[in-house]
Amino acid sequence: MFICLIRDSLSASKPGVLETVARACSPRVEAHGDDVVVCDARGLTRVIGAPAVIAEEMRRMAWERGLGVRVAIAGSQTAAWLLAHVRPGATIVPSGDEARMLERLPLSALIILPAPPRPTMALPSSKPAPPSTQNDMQPLRTSKAGQSDLQSRDVAEALRICDRWGLVTLGDLARLPRADVLTRMGPVGVRLHQAACGEDATPMVPTGEAPRFVERMELEWPVEGLEPLSFVLARLCDALSVTLARADRGAVTITTRLRLVTKAMHERTLTLPSPMREAKTLRTLILLDLEAHPAPAGIDVVEVECGVTPGRIAQGSLLAYTVPTPEDLSTLLARLQALVGDTRVGAPVIVDTHNPRVSSMKPFALKNLESAVAKASADKPLNQEPRTELRTEPRTLNAEPRTSIRRLRVPVPVRVRVERGRPVSVALSERITLSERTSVRESKDVTTAAGPWRTSGHWWTSDAQTWDRDEWDVALETGVIYRLARNRQTDAWELEGEID
Amino acid sequence: MASAALSHLTQLLDSKHLAGTLTRPMEGGRPCIGTGVSLLDDAEHLAGGWPKGQLSEVIGSPSSGRTSVVMATLAAVTQQGGMVALVDVADRLDPASAEAAGVVLDRLLWVRGPQLSWGASQMTVGDLAVQRGLRAFDLIVRAGGVAVVVFDVADVPARHLRSLAASTWLRLGYVLEGRDTVGLVMGAQPIGRSAHGVSLTLQAKGKWTGRSAQSRRLTGLAVTPDVSQRVRRVRSAQPSGKEATPCLFALSATL
Repeated sequence: MFICLIRDSLSASKPGVLETVARACSPRVEAHGDDVVVCDARGLTRVIGAPAVIAEEMRRMAWERGLGVRVAIAGSQTAAWLLAHVRPGATIVPSGDEARMLERLPLSALIILPAPPRPTMALPSSKPAPPSTQNDMQPLRTSKAGQSDLQSRDVAEALRICDRWGLVTLGDLARLPRADVLTRMGPVGVRLHQAACGEDATPMVPTGEAPRFVERMELEWPVEGLEPLSFVLARLCDALSVTLARADRGAVTITTRLRLVTKAMHERTLTLPSPMREAKTLRTLILLDLEAHPAPAGIDVVEVECGVTPGRIAQGSLLAYTVPTPEDLSTLLARLQALVGDTRVGAPVIVDTHNPRVSSMKPFALKNLESAVAKASADKPLNQEPRTELRTEPRTLNAEPRTSIRRLRVPVPVRVRVERGRPVSVALSERITLSERTSVRESKDVTTAAGPWRTSGHWWTSDAQTWDRDEWDVALETGVIYRLARNRQTDAWELEGEID
Repeated sequence: MASAALSHLTQLLDSKHLAGTLTRPMEGGRPCIGTGVSLLDDAEHLAGGWPKGQLSEVIGSPSSGRTSVVMATLAAVTQQGGMVALVDVADRLDPASAEAAGVVLDRLLWVRGPQLSWGASQMTVGDLAVQRGLRAFDLIVRAGGVAVVVFDVADVPARHLRSLAASTWLRLGYVLEGRDTVGLVMGAQPIGRSAHGVSLTLQAKGKWTGRSAQSRRLTGLAVTPDVSQRVRRVRSAQPSGKEATPCLFALSATL
């Protein structure tokens, strides 16, 4: 006995509701998108009651979730499917009466026969699943090996043939000899004949229930602070790690839910840079996150849930530099961020501006390394240098590496004496971020000066981003080479940095 | 016969650009990472580069070329696929200069110190920044997989460094020992290194072109290196006293 549940056309679609209702009644469920579900009802009469009671119970459960449904219960999936699509409300077909219940339906009803679903195991994800692209109302088709691929045009063509034969209802088609139908219409005709008789062409293929990777522990006494919590998390993460390993899955998100003694929920979600399932790493990441965002009260219940993805296959190389594993890198970044702050750790970024004072950084990620390696490989023509050149053999390097500037993030005001348009002495007006050897207050003579190099920008706006200055490279008698800038608006001199 | 076959095999691998797959006897008895400056890597100076698993230091006054040498090292490593880290205690890195020096910025882990000045009133904050930098250095080295870790304290006043425990640098050297990571400390004066580390002291003079201020241009730095501890092979081949070579290499200015 099979049950077919269909969303009523007057109700708005609610993803997952139909499947939830079906799974509440039966363990074997075949989902056809969000709007149609078929489930196995064998044995339900002993649990819930007669088929009519089952149908009403399922309609009630769906209604409580805000969804109106049509229900059909029949001895075959095909009969239940066709009747649920054609008849409103609940339809109960007594056992063995499928053909009789179907015989009055029009032949055009066969256009809505289901496509056999492929057995898949859904995975919980941090993102909502995209809407199914499979059209549940699409005509019969199958792509199983050994069978012909029945396309909608084949079904439509077969139905046109039936129409020319003067067949109107499913009963008319069912009364024809199947062998003759096969001779004249081929496999499509046979499948339509089976459907008209209320027979299933393929067995039910239950859809696997999406497993949840969640561990929960209710504590006898509330815990406060990270140290006692770490022991609880260790147990949960150990169990999660084993579960993930058995399912060959890696966690991409970790959601930690803490129920507090105040009955409030403290929930934190970490997005991991790459899939991982090592218990120690998971626990460390959760603890570091909770260290930065502690729970405001004692904790009664601890729950850890992982969003997962299939296991990662990594191929190491003998020829490339070793880089940290994703687990180690994640832990390292979390520790560094806890130490110096989120905004002080990352990879430098060149900002698209002519203002040399502007700099930025982005989060450091392993994909940066991978993309950089890929880019390096792509940049090299294959016929010139193979990837093996990535190894550490010292290459012939530039004999004259380029100089760098040690830039002051906030330029420091300096006093500059100018003669004949060029600086002749420089005095630092305050102690700055330089070593004691050079952080002097007294004036130092300029031995060599080059400039001015004029830069300006954002002059078309009136905000603080506007700059207009002359830059000078000056060598002092101490040997230090500074880069100075004169603000052309205020005529104030600033120290940009030193050439080093 | 064996040497001829080995020579043939070596030439064959070289011709196929597979020299990196060949295991050679370690020069100087320890593996190194090149500095990115070919003249520094020669046998007269570092004999291959910075020793792995050791804490070395780059010393020099401002405008001595120390940052440029460190950037050349980072560029050489990142261009070959390695990951590097810079613990920038005083937050002085200029990303544009680093990229111009050839550093692949995506492979540079940048740990920035706080934005502060090092006045006397901020002694505690300065000490805290140095301590955090040391802790970050320690964490990065222990994580493994980072080819070069630079601890930049070039702009930190000596009083903040003197306040550190004497065992600090020994401890850092111990953490590095046995790893494939090169630890570099960049400072204005000798700070600390491992027993087998290298101290590279730099001096430089600016190179200018042009006569008038308007036409004059800084073309680079003429750098004179001084290696205070060379690898064993080189040290045994030379007398103990060493003379600084005048202007070994030049740094070209592109800014």
